[in-house]
Amino acid sequence: MSAMGMVSVRNLKAHRVRLLLTVVSVMLGTAFVAGSFVFTDTLKSSFDKIFTTVDAGVDARVQPKHSYDPGVPQDLVTKIQAVPGVRTVEVHAGAPIVLVDSRGKKVQPGGAPSEGGMWTPAAQSVGTLPTFAAGRAPTRAGEVAINSGAATKGHLTAGDRAKVVLPNAGVVDVTVVGVYKTKVETGGYIGVLFSRPQALELFTDGKHVGSLDIAAAAGVSEKTLAANIAHTLPSTLEVRTGTQARTDDQGGIQTALSFINYILLGFGFIALIVGTFIIYNTFSMIVAQRLRELALLRAIGAGRKQVRRSVLVEAGVIGVIGSALGLAGGIGLAFGLHSLLDALNLGLPSGGLVMTPRTVIVALVLGTGVTLLSANAPARRAAQVPPVAAMREEFASTSAASLRRRTVLGTVVAALGAVVTVAGVTSSSAGTGASLLGLGLVGVAAGAMMLSPVLAGWIITPLGTVIGRPFGAVGRLARTNAVRNPRRTAATAFALTLGLLLVSGIAVVGASMKASISGIVDSTVRADYILGTQSSVDIPPRAAIAASKVPGVGSTTELHNVATLVDGKHGVGTGVDGPLNAIVKVDMKHGGGTTTGHSMLVSSDTAKKNHWTIGSQHTLSVPGRTPAVETITGIYADNQLLGPWLVSGDVYRTLTPPNEQADIVILIRAAPGADLHALRTGLEQATNNFYVVTVQNRDEFKGQVAGQINGLLGLLYGLLGLAIVIAILGIINTLALSVVERRREIGMLRAVGMQRKQVRRTIYVESLLIAVFGAVLGLGLGIAYGSMFTRTLRNQGLDTLSVPWTQAVTFLVVAGIVGVLAALWPGIRAARTRPLEAIAAS
Amino acid sequence: MTQVSTLSPAVASLVAASATDVVKLFGSGDTAVRALDRVSIDLLRGEFTAIMGPSGSGKSTLMHCLAGLDTVTSGSVAIGDVELCGLSDKKMTALRRDRIGFVFQSFNLVPTLTALENITLPIAIAGRKPAQPWLDNIIATLGLTDRLHHRPSELSGGQQQRVAVGRALAGRPEIIFGDEPTGNLDSRSSGEVMGILRRSVDDLGQTVVMVTHDARAASFADRVLFLADGHIVDELRAPTAETVLDRMKGLER
Ligand SMILES: Nc1ncnc2c1ncn2[C@@H]1O[C@H](COP(=O)(O)OP(=O)(O)OP(=O)(O)O)[C@@H](O)[C@H]1O
Ligand SMILES: [Mg+2]
Repeated sequence: MSAMGMVSVRNLKAHRVRLLLTVVSVMLGTAFVAGSFVFTDTLKSSFDKIFTTVDAGVDARVQPKHSYDPGVPQDLVTKIQAVPGVRTVEVHAGAPIVLVDSRGKKVQPGGAPSEGGMWTPAAQSVGTLPTFAAGRAPTRAGEVAINSGAATKGHLTAGDRAKVVLPNAGVVDVTVVGVYKTKVETGGYIGVLFSRPQALELFTDGKHVGSLDIAAAAGVSEKTLAANIAHTLPSTLEVRTGTQARTDDQGGIQTALSFINYILLGFGFIALIVGTFIIYNTFSMIVAQRLRELALLRAIGAGRKQVRRSVLVEAGVIGVIGSALGLAGGIGLAFGLHSLLDALNLGLPSGGLVMTPRTVIVALVLGTGVTLLSANAPARRAAQVPPVAAMREEFASTSAASLRRRTVLGTVVAALGAVVTVAGVTSSSAGTGASLLGLGLVGVAAGAMMLSPVLAGWIITPLGTVIGRPFGAVGRLARTNAVRNPRRTAATAFALTLGLLLVSGIAVVGASMKASISGIVDSTVRADYILGTQSSVDIPPRAAIAASKVPGVGSTTELHNVATLVDGKHGVGTGVDGPLNAIVKVDMKHGGGTTTGHSMLVSSDTAKKNHWTIGSQHTLSVPGRTPAVETITGIYADNQLLGPWLVSGDVYRTLTPPNEQADIVILIRAAPGADLHALRTGLEQATNNFYVVTVQNRDEFKGQVAGQINGLLGLLYGLLGLAIVIAILGIINTLALSVVERRREIGMLRAVGMQRKQVRRTIYVESLLIAVFGAVLGLGLGIAYGSMFTRTLRNQGLDTLSVPWTQAVTFLVVAGIVGVLAALWPGIRAARTRPLEAIAAS
Repeated sequence: MTQVSTLSPAVASLVAASATDVVKLFGSGDTAVRALDRVSIDLLRGEFTAIMGPSGSGKSTLMHCLAGLDTVTSGSVAIGDVELCGLSDKKMTALRRDRIGFVFQSFNLVPTLTALENITLPIAIAGRKPAQPWLDNIIATLGLTDRLHHRPSELSGGQQQRVAVGRALAGRPEIIFGDEPTGNLDSRSSGEVMGILRRSVDDLGQTVVMVTHDARAASFADRVLFLADGHIVDELRAPTAETVLDRMKGLER
């Protein structure tokens, strides 16, 4: 080993404790990155396995080209059967269902699918049939086989009576005749298989089925088979080879998973960026403490490069150790996340953790790279120590290095960010506005980071004067300590700034979302009760009929999703049965009219975009159904609840196959003078038998939406919590190192009569000031950008800006408490300093 | 009279600090170092005492033990009528703060505080307000009136030591300890600091004990104690630089 290498190793050993926290911060960042890879790789491999099993034996698949196409005509089955090379054709027909157990309780699938399907006998099956844990296959109407997971959850066995809820057919009474075992079970999955005739009746329009899986005869390749079948197909259908079909299925999951992956990686990167500050600080401080030694090395002939390299070698070792630990931590994190989601019953497939070489390489390279990058500036500074420094008596612990260049650069970057921000705020398009805001935020945040040493002085000095006053001399010492090394304070506080910037920004957007929705509901919804569903099944239209008969109901309005082609272009609008004005306040800009017959109402935004005007006619069509020609009679102000356009329920039913017809929501207006309480009870009783219907008044509806937003916010806060944890580690680290650095000074204070308690308190208050400084900066930026972001999206439904001030104050107080907690250990260490250490030579 | 072990109460009130049969061991077993070996001294109020001796003779150790910065292995130490042995850290700290002043060889001042803030530091730590006339008096004596709002890094070494002396005086302690307070200063600055300490004894009745290697500095004292191998071996009253040097030569031989 070279002499300088030895110096590096000796230093690592000597600073073991100080470097520990740095290792931990590298570790946390990489752990999140590695964890997100392991987690999504694991899920992906589990899903791949599922599809490999589910799609086993499929050599070709015939399916509709578009989601709005009606499906595969049933008469095609016999035609394809006759195609050369076809061994067997398996028919698929299915839909989401809700299973109700024998005691009348819904069997909850968690996050997994809950679907009804068709039992395929061995003769038609392309793959191997599932085996039965109990009972047999369904053979006639009213009989079903369910998977063993559903059987366990619903306490059902062969012979039990149960119910299945479907949108079109309503509630179907069934007898469980068999419990089958799926080869791969995702947590919570519910599968209910009907006999062929009943499945066709329930899940199809009588003419079309969902898709066909085809097995090839011996010796026929997938490609030949697909080519042969392709000749028989109409233009609305396509054929995929078995391999393609599997890739399609896996690709769908892949898209969903990569979204999760990006989110997790995003947080990993935030964690790493925050970690950067800690690493930078640690190495800066270690270099500062070793100035004399470095100068001595230079004096005895070590070159600049060698000195610099010796610091970087240390960083490299830390990086490798940290990222290796991070990799291990990532596996643990993925395992924990998987177990957590399993426990929450979110329908994840089970399977061993998957670690790819990619995960290992990315984690190691990223962790080590970030460490080296962060240590680069301190290493350069170390190399610049002049040899004569070894001879100097005292080193000023406050680095007098000019901040001017940094300040000038910071001002320029922040100003550029501000300009882009202004451009974003004034942009008329929400998309460009939001992107510009994001870019502006990056600029302003980077600028703020560079300016934060200066800002630290400006903010901490007055803040410390106020907060420190009750502590007297201790407060004054804490305040001056907090600003004695502005770069260090800035780097320490900025980790917290970043975390709180994101947290408070999200808090503003979240609060505004809740306020906006609440505002829309309050100002436009006139309905007294909202009948919705929280399951995967839409509301059976019969529920609306039952509800309308309840005494006290003034009017009933049903809304439907209309997925169709408007003048040949795919679009989704709303179908309305019943009076519209009774339940929503519609702000008509032009014309008027109702959603009856063939009149169509459109939102002003839609009208403008498509150049539609009052009186213009448009054809709504779905392949295989009779088209409807609509005339625009009114243009209404944009409204989140109504969507882009409205047509009558009759048009909806013309365009939608009967088996798919359902209500997304039923809105009830009470009759004048009706007892709302009694009405509610009546509605609940009337819809109880449909199992999927929930009755809510306006406040409950708002609460449900707010609850969903809160859930999302909670998840984001949880993930951002990691950034805060790393920031806390940073504060601990900086303070611990400062305490070591100020050992003599603290000893002197002890000698002249400072009590241990006072020493501790000095450190606590210093930490409090640093934390509050970081929090103030982060909250300021976060609230500002959250508000501007909300403003940019004002036409996207975020029309009410709500800044959660109480929450912001809470964040600030928590930051202060966290600051004090972070100072506990360094404070106790400082208080242990013996007075004699002031006198003992360093 | 000064070496009597049992003092009458009247005489005891004249004693600012005393050590009785003090033994201080560093380490244990075979490698133990006997830094102080049954040292007994009384330091009288209003007297300026210098402690001299070869390097490693135990001067600093004696000073630390007397000032409550270190504990003794056996024997007893008292500041005024307070016996230090067995005091809690809290009481000991308060005692140092309220009744003892310190001037170290270096690193006396808090770098982030101004000269004035450093001078009033122990008073501020105690949560008290300095007595203004007294403070003005000290500042005038120190010759620091136009330097009060400077940071230590903006002061010369001599000025820094004068600030440290000011801090020691500000709280009107019963006794001031200095461990080579002029060790890092040139002879002019050294003379200034010693002059201030001398005047504090003459004009203010302050008690001062100081370790020094410098015969000229020692000549400012009323009394010089000589230490060798952990024993008090000699004592000189009304010293001059020449008599001190003579005695030192005798010791080092
Ligand atoms: N903390 C310690 N641990 C072990 N031995 C010590 C310690 N402090 C002092 N000593 C030893 O005690 C003896 C007396 O030391 P002391 O520092 O009191 O000497 P000194 O007279 O002040 O010398 P100098 O003039 O060099 O400052 C020396 O032999 C020294 O090595
Ligand atoms: Mg000494």
